[in-house]
Amino acid sequence: MTLGSGGSSVVVPRNFRLLEELERGEKGIGDGTVSYGMDDGDDIYMRSWTGTIIGPHNSVHEGRIYQLKLFCDKDYPEKPPSVRFHSRVNMTCVNHETGVVEPKKFGILANWQREYTMEDILTQLKKEMAAPHNRKLVQPPEGTYF
Amino acid sequence: MGGDGVADDASESNPAGGVTVHVRCSNGSKFSVQGSLESTVGSFKAVLAQSCDIPAEQQRLIYKGRILKDDQTLLSYGLEADHTVHLVRGFAPAASTNTAGATNPGGPNATPSSARGVGLNEGGALGGSGFGASLFPGLGINSLGGGDSLFGAGLPEFEQVQQQLTQNPNMMGEIMNMPVVQNLMNNPEIMRNLIMSNPQMREIIDRNPELAHILNDPSTLRQTLEAARNPELMREMMRNTDRAMSNIESSPEGFNMLRRMYETVQEPFLNATTMAGDTGNNLGSNPFAALLGTQGGAQAQDQSTNPSVTGSETTTGSPVPNANPLPNPWTSAGSGGAQTNTTTRSNPVGDARQPAPAGLGGLGLPEFERMLGGMPDTNSLNQIMQNPAISQMMQSVLSNPQYMNQILGLNPQLRSMLDSNSQLREMMQNPEFLRQLTSPETMQQLMTLQQSLLSQFGRQQGSQEPGQIGGGTAGTRNTMGLEMLMNMFGGLGAGGLTVPSRSDVPPEQLYATQLSQLQEMGFFDTQENIRALTATAGNVHAAVERLLGNPGQ
Repeated sequence: MTLGSGGSSVVVPRNFRLLEELERGEKGIGDGTVSYGMDDGDDIYMRSWTGTIIGPHNSVHEGRIYQLKLFCDKDYPEKPPSVRFHSRVNMTCVNHETGVVEPKKFGILANWQREYTMEDILTQLKKEMAAPHNRKLVQPPEGTYF
Repeated sequence: MGGDGVADDASESNPAGGVTVHVRCSNGSKFSVQGSLESTVGSFKAVLAQSCDIPAEQQRLIYKGRILKDDQTLLSYGLEADHTVHLVRGFAPAASTNTAGATNPGGPNATPSSARGVGLNEGGALGGSGFGASLFPGLGINSLGGGDSLFGAGLPEFEQVQQQLTQNPNMMGEIMNMPVVQNLMNNPEIMRNLIMSNPQMREIIDRNPELAHILNDPSTLRQTLEAARNPELMREMMRNTDRAMSNIESSPEGFNMLRRMYETVQEPFLNATTMAGDTGNNLGSNPFAALLGTQGGAQAQDQSTNPSVTGSETTTGSPVPNANPLPNPWTSAGSGGAQTNTTTRSNPVGDARQPAPAGLGGLGLPEFERMLGGMPDTNSLNQIMQNPAISQMMQSVLSNPQYMNQILGLNPQLRSMLDSNSQLREMMQNPEFLRQLTSPETMQQLMTLQQSLLSQFGRQQGSQEPGQIGGGTAGTRNTMGLEMLMNMFGGLGAGGLTVPSRSDVPPEQLYATQLSQLQEMGFFDTQENIRALTATAGNVHAAVERLLGNPGQ
């Protein structure tokens, strides 16, 4: 049985989809500039995930490591996961109090498609960090958390 | 100390057998290493250090979105064969982190070289190859604090002093050859920390990887420091920078390039300085606030000419946050005098006890001064002063008349002052007196003493800055005396200043970086960590010692 995630005709069930993402995260397949994995290996629903973004070059974020919490509810991947920064960060699409990435202000979450993965979210966020409106924002000291 | 932990782990590592783990660096390169999953992250880092150019203590490993902690095993993170971990070079290694270095009063000193390079010759300082060279000698000497801020010291004619220094590189060499200074110089780590611990500076560096590279290359730093020590070499370097500049300028597009450089480096730099002026909280941690002489100077002037500022100073006896920028004894403009004095006077009377010992710290113990600088309140200051180890250290320095003489002799202004006040000289050279000075009980006495000195000082100051007296009459009488004494001691800088300005920042915020470092090292009790950091003024190294050994107190 093939689990080609790209195949639009085949609807990959949630668990297979998440298992595939888990493997990609562990083995560093793909973009490779972001890292993610499951919080609790015993959770059969695979809901809680931790992601890490390494700050992009040529931005204030360079050299910093941002930790995020992703929560894939049972309607994932039909619905986007909720994404929240754990490390404090100053970005236009991130709520300053809670660290939640606000879907309205972040394209990939606003226009979610089920082919999108958590890796996509993380890499998009990383691109967002390097975007002109975020690139030079003054950042809270590293090592502080929401 | 993280470094130690790593070393220890490494010694007990046994990477025999094991599995293949892929490592992906942040620059995109990949490599694989053999390691045992039973080994700790710390020892795994030691293995990695052999395969990449990042020393173990600077490595940050990320797996499954989590940052791996040194004391955990790879297995505990669920790492398996053929899995990939991400490797990132972290800033300031946990070892010997003197993050409190930011409060080093030496910081704001734009030394002759940087005054020439950055202040007077704005463009020149940015000149391609010359940039690092001309900037870093400056930064380098900045960290001497004690010995060299003595020169600046807010003495009235310090423009002269500065000139003298620039014209007399031998003196510079002399400073550079002082053992304390050499010690500092030989430790590029400290200097990097000094720079990295400043958020604004870090931002600049973040944006300019080339700069970061310079910083991360100890040999560059050492080279520039070496140059600062050797007057000939320094002159040569200066000449080269100028030459390089004119070359760049004369080449097509060269000017634009310079402008771009100005925009990416100089502007944020200036921003950093203004920002510090705006936010009192940032003050202590921004020794670069006054690095750019003109900017800082102008700002200070504004504030010193603002009657409301002085007015409030004379009336308040309770601690108020100090909103003035750090004094910059080296400000290239003459405004520096005003600047230093203003800031001193703005120290609330209630805090008067603190600056004095901080000033003493300036006598050549930058580290110690830094510690004092970070003291959030009188209590912890007293605590420190009562700490046998500290007082012993102070005493050993202060009771060495030779050392004192050296410091005093090095500063022509101070010397001439002493010559005209034989009483003062006696005082300064009496180890007994100095020892007494360090005792908290005698701080009050000291105040009285300062008042008795006031008339002399007042006259002296009056002749040079008539305007100042008007602002600083009656209400600030004793602070004025204090001011002068502090100026004499030369430790004025951040020592006195940061005390009030820092006290209103909650420690967990103030020491956020250090806290997370401690967390990463495996100290999970936040309260305990904060206590340790507060007691050590944010020095992670000392905090760890304290947490482990839990000495005294």
